Amino acid sequence: MNDTFEPTIVAFLCNWCTFTAADLAGTSRLSYPQNVKIVRMMCSGMVDPVYVLKAFLEGADGVYVGGCWPGDCHYINGNLKARRRAALLTEILKQFGIEEDRFWLRWVAASDGIMFQEHSKEMTEKLRALGPSPLSVDRTIA
Amino acid sequence: MSKEFPLREERIGFYICHCGINIAFKVRCHEVAEYIGTLPGVVISRDYLFMCSDPGQEIIEKDIRELNLTRVVVASCSPRMHEHTFRAACARAGLNPFRSFHHVCVREHVSWVTLDEDEATEKAKTLARAGVNRVRYQSDLFPKSFPVNPNTLVVGGGIAGMQAALDVAKAGYKVYLVERQATIGGHMLQYDKTFPTMDCAACIGTPKMVAVGQNPNIEILSLSEVEEISGFVGNFEVKVKRYARYVNAAKCTGCGECTKYCPISVPNEWDVGTQLRRAVYRPFPQAVPITFAIDKKDRGPCVQTCPAGTNVQGYVTLVREGKYKEAVKVILENLPLPGVLGRVCPAPCEKVCRRGEVDQPVSIRNLKRFAADHVDWETLEVPEIEKKPPEEKVAIVGSGPAGLSCAYFLARKGYHPTVFEAMSEIGGMLRAGIPDYRLPPEVLKREVNYMCRMGVEIKTNAPIGEGNTIDKLFSEGYKAVFLSTGAHKEFMLGVEGENAEGVLRGISFLRNVNFCVDGAIGNKAVVIGGGAVAMDVARVARRKGASDVHVYCLEKREEMPAWAEEIEATEAEGIKIHNSWGVKKIVTNGSKVAGIEFKRCVAVFDENKRFSPKYDDSESISDNCDTVLVAIGQRPDVSCINGTDGIELTRRGLISADPVTLQTGKPGVFAGGELYSGPSLVIEAIASGKEAAISIDRYIRGEDLIENRPQRPKGENWAPIPEGVQKAARAKMPELEPAQRVGSFVEVGTGFTEEQARTEAARCLSCGVCCECKQCVPACEAKAIEHDQIDKVVTLQVGSIIVATGFDVMDPTPMKEYGYGRLPNVLLNLEFERLSNATGPTSGKILLRDPNDKYQHTRPPKSVAFLHCIGSRDKNYHEYCSRTCCMYALKLAHLVKDKCGHDTEVYNFYIDMRCFGKGYEEFYRRIQDEGVRMIRGKAVEVTDKAEDPSEEGMLIVRAEDTLIGKMLRVPVEMVVLCTAMEPRPDAQEVARVFGLTLSGDGFFMEEHPKLEPVSTPTAGVFLAGACQGPKDIPDSVAQAKAAASEAQALSTLGEVIVPPMISHIDEDTCIGCQVCIGLCVYSAIEFDEFRKISVVNEAVCKGCGSCAAYCPSGAASIRHFTRKQIFGEIEGILAS
Repeated sequence: MNDTFEPTIVAFLCNWCTFTAADLAGTSRLSYPQNVKIVRMMCSGMVDPVYVLKAFLEGADGVYVGGCWPGDCHYINGNLKARRRAALLTEILKQFGIEEDRFWLRWVAASDGIMFQEHSKEMTEKLRALGPSPLSVDRTIA
Repeated sequence: MSKEFPLREERIGFYICHCGINIAFKVRCHEVAEYIGTLPGVVISRDYLFMCSDPGQEIIEKDIRELNLTRVVVASCSPRMHEHTFRAACARAGLNPFRSFHHVCVREHVSWVTLDEDEATEKAKTLARAGVNRVRYQSDLFPKSFPVNPNTLVVGGGIAGMQAALDVAKAGYKVYLVERQATIGGHMLQYDKTFPTMDCAACIGTPKMVAVGQNPNIEILSLSEVEEISGFVGNFEVKVKRYARYVNAAKCTGCGECTKYCPISVPNEWDVGTQLRRAVYRPFPQAVPITFAIDKKDRGPCVQTCPAGTNVQGYVTLVREGKYKEAVKVILENLPLPGVLGRVCPAPCEKVCRRGEVDQPVSIRNLKRFAADHVDWETLEVPEIEKKPPEEKVAIVGSGPAGLSCAYFLARKGYHPTVFEAMSEIGGMLRAGIPDYRLPPEVLKREVNYMCRMGVEIKTNAPIGEGNTIDKLFSEGYKAVFLSTGAHKEFMLGVEGENAEGVLRGISFLRNVNFCVDGAIGNKAVVIGGGAVAMDVARVARRKGASDVHVYCLEKREEMPAWAEEIEATEAEGIKIHNSWGVKKIVTNGSKVAGIEFKRCVAVFDENKRFSPKYDDSESISDNCDTVLVAIGQRPDVSCINGTDGIELTRRGLISADPVTLQTGKPGVFAGGELYSGPSLVIEAIASGKEAAISIDRYIRGEDLIENRPQRPKGENWAPIPEGVQKAARAKMPELEPAQRVGSFVEVGTGFTEEQARTEAARCLSCGVCCECKQCVPACEAKAIEHDQIDKVVTLQVGSIIVATGFDVMDPTPMKEYGYGRLPNVLLNLEFERLSNATGPTSGKILLRDPNDKYQHTRPPKSVAFLHCIGSRDKNYHEYCSRTCCMYALKLAHLVKDKCGHDTEVYNFYIDMRCFGKGYEEFYRRIQDEGVRMIRGKAVEVTDKAEDPSEEGMLIVRAEDTLIGKMLRVPVEMVVLCTAMEPRPDAQEVARVFGLTLSGDGFFMEEHPKLEPVSTPTAGVFLAGACQGPKDIPDSVAQAKAAASEAQALSTLGEVIVPPMISHIDEDTCIGCQVCIGLCVYSAIEFDEFRKISVVNEAVCKGCGSCAAYCPSGAASIRHFTRKQIFGEIEGILAS
C-alpha cells in the first residue's frame, strides 16, 4: 500500500467557466491528479455554504469552488456573491479547525484549461502535505 | 441484492460508454458497470461502445420500457456534449427527461486527464456512484416556451456584418445594423485588391454596402455602440448609444461643400493616418450612409476652464485662418469686451493648455487682443436679435465687468437693460482701477459702444442707494435688478502715522490719475502691497514723476499675488521690490510723511492658508520717503442696498446670494461680481454677469432658475497630441522699451504682428477636433449642420444578436527593431493598402513617402520587401498564425510588380508559406513566376545604417535565409510589415456586454471549436467574422451566412424553449425576509404583501442561484440543483 496520503477534493465548478475549462483540460489531455471530483453548478454564486460544510462533514479533505473572473459572470455578479460568502465561510471553517488551505475559491476563464489543471495539481499537493481533514480522520483510520 | 431505498422504490439503469477507446483506454468500463450494478436501486448496469449512437440510445429506450426503469444515468463525455441526446431518449421512452436522467462525465474529467488506469477506473466509479445517488432526488420539470421577436441585431458593419444583415433581411426579417464608425464597410473596404482573384475590394464591397443601405429591412445605426443588453434568447432588449453626428442625415446631400470651410485637419482613420481630413468629414467617397459627420470630442481644457466658457479653440483657429472678424464673433458669443479681456485677463485657459505638454502654452490672451484689435468696431455687425417688448427692461447697478456682461447677455436675449453707473465714467474698476498703459480707455470705449448698439443703455452719475432705491427701480417698471457695484472701498494699514499728509490710498490714486482729477505725487514713493494693484500703483507713481519708487510687501517673492510678468515689467521700469516686510509705523515730520519703518514678516498665512501674518519684531528697517501709497486690498461698497429690505450680507460684508442662480434674498434682485464674490478676477466677474443674465431671463419668463440650467462642458476625451509635433517657442508680445514707458501712459504691449499671431495660433493642438467656429453652417445650403445635436440612447427589441465586431491590425511601433514610426518608408500593411487604393492619399499610386512630410509622396520604389509574421507566430506577441498575411503579402507583391513595373525588386521574407484555400497555392505559383523573390527566414531587423556604399540611403532588411543557412542584408527602398490580426482592444468589455467569453488568444470564443462555430454561451447571440479569430474574406462571409441562418432559424421557429432550471421559493417555508429580492440582479423576485412571502417571476428568472445559496430558511432553491440533489452527489463522491 502506498503510504502517501491521497486527499479527496470536491470541486464545485461554474458551468460557464471552470467546468468548461475542465472540459478543455480534458480535450487538451492535460492530466491532473484523480483526487479532484467535479460537481457541476450553474454559477459559483449558487454554491450554498452548506454544500461546502456538507462535503467536509462527509469526509472531503478539500473543497474547491471555481467561478468566472470578476466582471465575466454569466449572471452579472454571482461570482462576487460567492466571494463574499467564501470570505465568511473561511472564517467559520477555521473555528472548526479546518485550515484555510482546504477551501479554495478561484477564478478560471472558460478558455483556461491549463489553469484548472494547475489548480488541481497545486491543491492536491498542498493537501497531501497537510494531511487528512480533521473531520475525516476517523474515516481514514478506519 | 437488497432493494431497500431511502425513497419510494426507484429502478435505475446505468450505462457507461467506451467512446470507442477514448474512455475505455483508461477506464475499465466493464468493471465500473459491474460495480454500479451492485448499488441499491440499480436494476441494470451496462457498458457499450458508443452510447450516443442510435443503437446506444435504443438500448436505453428499450430498457426503460422493458425493465420499467424510472431513472437513467449515463457515464460518457461531458454533459455539454450529449446531455440533450440522452434526455431526448428518456423522453421518447415516456419519462420526464429532467426527472429521470443524469449525465456523468468520465471522458473529459477522467479518462483524458488521468494517467493511471486503476486511478481512472476508481475515479469513474466514484463519479458514477455520485450520479446514481443524485438522480434519485431529481423531479419532474417542464421547460417553458416563449415567443421569439423576429428582429435581429447585427453588431459591426464590416463584410461579415453586412453579409449577415443581408441574409437575414433577405429572409424577410428586420435587421438593425450597429456600426461604430461613420460608415459601414469595415476593413475590407480599406483594401485595394483581394486575393487570390485580384478582385477590386471596392468593386465587390461597395455593392454590398449599397445593398445594405437600400434594403428596406435593414436599418443602419452608424456612429453607434451597443451599451447594454437585457432579456434572454428571443427577447433581448438592447440599449444603443447613438453618438451625435451633428449633420442631419435627412438633409445632407453629401456635396462636401462644408469641408471647404472647415479649418481643422486631422489624420483620417480610414486612411490609417496617411492623409488628412477635415473635422467635418466622410471617411471615403463611397461611404454608406453618405451623410457627413462632425468629429467633435470633448471641449478643450481652455474652453472648460474659461469661467465665461469662451470658445477659445474656435477663435484661435480663426485667427490662424486670418478670419479676424469671424474670430471676434466667436468670442462675442460667450464673452463681451474681447479687447479688454485680451489685455487684462489672467488667462486661466493658458495654465491648462495642452500645448504646454509639448513646449509652452499657446499665448491665448494675446491672440484675443489681436483679433479684437483687427476688426472695425464701428461697423462690426450686431447679431440679429429678436427684441422683446419695451416693458421687459432690467436695471443693472454698476458698469464694471459684471454689470456690462449681464447687460450684454440680456441685450443678446432681446431684453432692454439699463446700466446705472455712480461715477462719471463707464467701466467700473476697468476704467478706474487699471492704468491706461495697460488698458487704453479707447479700447473699453469702442467695445462698450458696440454693446450700446446692441441695445444696452448706460446712465452715468446715477448712483443707486439711499434716495434712489432698488425698490424704486421696481416701481419704475424694471422687471429685475442686478447689483454689481464692485469692491472700490480700500483697506487701511491701521498703523501710527497713517493719516499724515502724503499717505495715499492706491485705488483712489489710480482713479484720480485715470480720471485726470489729480494724482500729484512726491519724489520718493513707497508702495505697500504685493498684488496687481500695488504693481499698477507703483508704475503709475513712476509715470507721475516719482523718481524713486519702492514696493514693500509681506509676501515672499514667489507668494506675491501679482502675476510674474507684471512684477518683471515693474522692475524693468526701475522700481525696487522688497519682500517679507510689514509696516511698523509711518514716520511723520509735523503733518507730513517723512519715512516709514518695517518689521520682518516671517509668515503670511497660517496652516489653514488663511491670511494671518506673523512678524519678527527684532528685525526692522526704515526708509525715507515723501509719499506712501497703500494698496493692500479692496472691499465692496454695499451702499446700493441702502433703503431696501430683504437683501442680506455675509459675514465678510458681501451681498449674500445663491451660488448657482445669484439671486439674493429678495426675489428679482440678483448680485454678481466682486460685490458678491469679494476681490477676484475680471473674467470671473464677466462669468457671474453671464450667469445672472441666464437667471434673470428665466426669472422674467417665470421658469425655474435651476432646472436644466446649461451645464459647463466637461470630459477629457480629447484628440491625442499628434506624434512628431515640432517644438516651437511661444510668441512674445513686442513691448515699449522701459525708457519709453516711464514718461507716458502709452500702452506698453504693442500687440502681435499679423505673422506672429497666425503662427502662434497655429500652435493650437485642436484638442476638441471640431472647434465650433461654425463656418460650415452658412456653407451648407441644405441647412443640414446641427451643432447642438446630443448623444442619444435608443432601445431596440430583438430576438437574436450577431456579433461581427472584427479585428484590429497590430501596431508594430513597440517592435523597435523594424523601425516603424522612425523610418518613413517602413509601412504598415494597411497603410500600403491605402497607398494602393484609388481613394487613398496617392490616388492608387505606390510611391515612396517624403521623409520630410509624411503626407507627401515622391516616386515609385525600385525595391520593396514584405516582412511576414510580424507579431504572429511570435511568443512575445501572438502565438497564433494570422492566416491571411502570406496571401495578402503575395497580393501586395503582385501590385508592386503591376504598378511600379516588372523591374521592381520585390522580396518576401517568410517563415512558412501557408496557401491553404481555394486557388491560393496556384496564386502563390503565379506570383513566383512574376519574379517575386521568396526568402525563407523571418526578418530580424530593418535598419538605415549602411555598411557599404551600395546600402547608402536604403533600408536594409536583415534576415537569415534558412535554406542556405546564411545571414542576409537586403537593401530596399520600402518595407511593408505584415502585422498580426489581433482582437479589438475593447474585446473584453464587448464580451461582457454580450455575455461572451474570450479564448486564450483574446478573440471571442465559440461554443464548440468544431461543431458550434457561431454559437456562444449566451443563447441567441452568434459570432461572425474575424472577431472570433483571424479569417480571410471568404471564411468571414461563410461564417456570417452561418450566423444569419442561426438567427433566421430562431425567427422562423417563432418560439424558444427556456431551460426549466430556475429558482423556486417554497411558500410554506419562506419567512418573508426579502433578502433574496436584494440579491437578485434580474429583479425576478417580488414580495407578495398579502401572503408576506417572496415569489419568483419565472419568466424573468435565469436560474443563477444567488437566492438559493443565501436563503436563511432554505425556502429558495434552484430546480435541478436542489439541496437534496447536490447532497446526494456529495455523499456519492465521499461514500467509501
